[in-house]
Amino acid sequence: MLHYYDPRTESYQPGKNRLNPDVDYGTPVSLSEELVSISVDGRDITVPEGTSVLRAAALAGINIPKLCASDNLEAFGSCRLCAVEIEGRRGYPASCTTPVAEGMAVTTQTGKLAKLRRNIMELYISDHPLDCLTCPANGNCELQDVAGAVGLREVRYGFDGENHLDAEIDDSNPYFSFDPSKCIVCSRCVRACDEVQGTFALTIEGRGFDSKVTASQNDPFMDSECVSCGACVQACPTSTLMEKSVIDAGQPEHSVVTTCAYCGVGCSFKAEMKGDQVVRMVPYKGGEANHGHSCVKGRFAFGYATHKDRIKEPMIRETINDPWQVVSWDEALAFSAKKLKGIQAEHGRESIGGITSSRCTNEETYLVQKLVRAAFGNNNTDTCARVCHSPTGYGLKTTLGESAGTQTFDSVMKADTIVVIGANPTDAHPVFGSLMRKRLRLGAKLIVIDPRRIDVIHTPHAAEGLHLPLRPGTNVAIVNALAHVIVTEGLEDQEFIHNRCDTEAYNAWRTFIAEARNSPEAMEAVTGVAADKVREAARMYAQADNGAIYYGLGVTEHSQGSTMVMGIANLALATGNIGKEGGGVNPLRGQNNVQGSCDMGSFPHELPGYQHVSDPAVRERFQAVWGVPIDNEPGLRIPNMFDAAIAGSFKALYVQGEDIAQSDPNTQHVESALRALDCLIVQDIFLNETAKFAHVLLPGSTFLEKNGTFTNAERRINRVRKVMEPIAGLEDWEVTMALSNALGYPMHYSHPSEIMDEIASLTPTFTGVNYDKLEQLGSIQWPCNDEYPEGTPTMHTVDFPIGKGRFAITEYLASEECASRRFPLLLTTGRILSQYNVGAQTRRTSNSDWHEEDLLELHPSDAELRGVKDGDWLGISSRVGHTVLRAKLSTRMLPGVVYTTFHHPSSGANVVTTDNSDWATNCPEYKVTAVQVEKVSQPSDWQRNFVDFNKRQQALLKPTMESGEDCHATALK
Amino acid sequence: MSDQQLNNLIKMLDQIIANNLHHGDDDKVTDVAADHLHKFWARSMKQRIIAYASESPAELSALARSTIAKLEAAPE
Repeated sequence: MLHYYDPRTESYQPGKNRLNPDVDYGTPVSLSEELVSISVDGRDITVPEGTSVLRAAALAGINIPKLCASDNLEAFGSCRLCAVEIEGRRGYPASCTTPVAEGMAVTTQTGKLAKLRRNIMELYISDHPLDCLTCPANGNCELQDVAGAVGLREVRYGFDGENHLDAEIDDSNPYFSFDPSKCIVCSRCVRACDEVQGTFALTIEGRGFDSKVTASQNDPFMDSECVSCGACVQACPTSTLMEKSVIDAGQPEHSVVTTCAYCGVGCSFKAEMKGDQVVRMVPYKGGEANHGHSCVKGRFAFGYATHKDRIKEPMIRETINDPWQVVSWDEALAFSAKKLKGIQAEHGRESIGGITSSRCTNEETYLVQKLVRAAFGNNNTDTCARVCHSPTGYGLKTTLGESAGTQTFDSVMKADTIVVIGANPTDAHPVFGSLMRKRLRLGAKLIVIDPRRIDVIHTPHAAEGLHLPLRPGTNVAIVNALAHVIVTEGLEDQEFIHNRCDTEAYNAWRTFIAEARNSPEAMEAVTGVAADKVREAARMYAQADNGAIYYGLGVTEHSQGSTMVMGIANLALATGNIGKEGGGVNPLRGQNNVQGSCDMGSFPHELPGYQHVSDPAVRERFQAVWGVPIDNEPGLRIPNMFDAAIAGSFKALYVQGEDIAQSDPNTQHVESALRALDCLIVQDIFLNETAKFAHVLLPGSTFLEKNGTFTNAERRINRVRKVMEPIAGLEDWEVTMALSNALGYPMHYSHPSEIMDEIASLTPTFTGVNYDKLEQLGSIQWPCNDEYPEGTPTMHTVDFPIGKGRFAITEYLASEECASRRFPLLLTTGRILSQYNVGAQTRRTSNSDWHEEDLLELHPSDAELRGVKDGDWLGISSRVGHTVLRAKLSTRMLPGVVYTTFHHPSSGANVVTTDNSDWATNCPEYKVTAVQVEKVSQPSDWQRNFVDFNKRQQALLKPTMESGEDCHATALK
Repeated sequence: MSDQQLNNLIKMLDQIIANNLHHGDDDKVTDVAADHLHKFWARSMKQRIIAYASESPAELSALARSTIAKLEAAPE
């Protein structure tokens, strides 16, 4: 017997089983627990029932030629190259579509099969250009490989017959070309678009010889529904769909597996390289978060790493009106240290602070908060999670005892009802969005609670989702109404509640939630959602075997963000949807390492591992390792820092890899705070909006230039591996270390693995994490400790870190930010697929071809009232500011609600948003801003000032960029 | 300290109290609110609100004053 086989663990785990993510096994895994034994060319193999003969052969190490098959697509059986002979059966069945049967004896190589395969290849090649030597796929072409494997030596049909060799190339997509002259119509691209991505943008048009791949209604790719995820390019066995970067540079010669630095899905990619040049990023099949899928950002938008705007050398200046002066690392760090020490001497220990980055690695984030706590001597550290998921930390810790989502992404494949609240997975977490759509196509039900009609509601080939289009700011009202139905209609999981939840808290909550004022009927006037729809949704969720909730910033970025998170946890506890696959509470994190930055102690009240600074035992452990006393009082949060800066008591800030000037609300308030600082140190890859107010600019390194780890939204710690040298010589963790040393607090790490070892020694949920184990397992979901040595895919299976789950009373309070006669509309903000956050990276790629400016979406009825047409300039005024955007009429929102994105700094979307915030965490209420809109003919005052200020700051930078084009910073001594 | 900063502190405190009124009697509400300030507010913020409460108690609600008194009395 060749090998054992366990379908439950059929994923590549080095040293544990023999599946190799670099091998295409032809057809997908079968999850059956029934095993079947067959022989292939005399080799015995046992595989799960339902496995194809093609896959069984591949698992036995026998490669059957194939062209239309791939193990991420269902078997199709069109190319017939994988034909085999089966003892006792007639003919030559395609092995991809033939399931194994007990005792089957398969032969893959006979004279007849060889002839058959050669004949098939002859037909393919008779209509294929013979330009292999100049073809971009040369050296990496499945068609070429199969031609070689079958021994094709002649094409008896000749090449003069009818063919497709003059088919026109479609070059419309900025990242890949479509050359139909090379297409063999295997349908892999079409099936990848359908089965993997779920967009259904491609089709085979025509019949027989006229069959051809087309996008949408025979449109150019760029004008079609294609979302440029790259699944078709990856699936193509020829060079029909080919990355333009490969056409330009040729085939890569080596690759390194690393983790994407865009959203919180944390996809694994192979950075395919030529020397130190990234030729393409190919989604890695061995990545547990993405299983070989990607989106337009991670797959293609990596060119920013080598963009001319990169900051290549350290710079300093005394005031923000001075030109930047290029200096050595030593000078920049000495300048920074002198400023910081001088400010502390004059204004006190608490007059300075730092902001860690949710884009940087865990190790870098850990070092920044350590720098603040140990070298600055205070707890004034915060991170961008303050403005996105800080309520998740508060709400989940209060109810479930841990500040993290409970599931794996794959868990969604076992969900029967999926609830999406305030999230837009197909745009903001696209790879997970595709997985969710796959589950929906298999029959799971969908409930969407969102003011906007998001794309996932209408998933092709799935039932329409139930949409509850609530008014912005009424989340808690609707979650209470849902819970009211569950309680009053007897839909609770009483056994779970009895066994797993705190009785006193439950009884108090139950009494509260059962009150008639929380009923859907009572809340209808508040939420705007029909009561019967709310009741239907509550039943759909509670009566499902597995109900899973996914939520995003539409939950957290409210004045009751934390309350809403607790309301979601209440729903999951009440229905027993915790501690099992297919259920759970799943915050979809915006940035790549939001989870990690929170885990690493970025918040001013918590040391790494969410350990409160006021706990003497916790402080003692850190003090023993860090060798300095740690302040027992929480520090300032980002908004508190701004207030203190304006008040004059907060004077210096070290910001690593965040653009608070663009991303934080009430821009004019933020700008006032930044102008008030005596020393702003910005470490970033570009002169971002914040850096324009800085006195020290330290070049940052992209994820391609460093080693470390990111932690994604499912708590998965993934390795980030350096594929090129940092542009200015230092990785970000080395810069922080050098700054600390300059300040007199010694840090001496030679590799991020040593930082992780220190993290593991101090963080109870990380004690089992180390780089060797990450290499061995590929990735680890924390908690990883003695109890869970290989990590924890599903949390709370037995108990909660706080013992019993705690229901929380979630009284609805209306936001203070409400519509009025002066500001009759409610503005809510969000993201779109092609751009990422403040856009610093994606705006410097061709992704801007999809979204070159932020638009204000408004309902046609609101537009008609104001005489607004598509494309008109609209002034948007709120209680704090005014900006101007172009109008886009849309029925995605209800009348009375308008929407925009914040990817372009000149849009000034956050000039309008207020500094109202969540009661528990100060997370800003981005999602509710009362506004008025009217037609205008010129930009706002803020926008005109922005243009002037930007021009001035670019001019102050320009001489340094010109002189620094060919040189790098002096290496740190 | 600017008025804006002080106004924000007062607003935050009022919000914390408003979101914890469900705890029942005033004593319990202010216990929870004071505990929240203790756990999440920076030293300078606590000091400022305590100072303000002693300077201008009439400007604060009764629950806010009571919360601040408990915060002040709490051991460091």
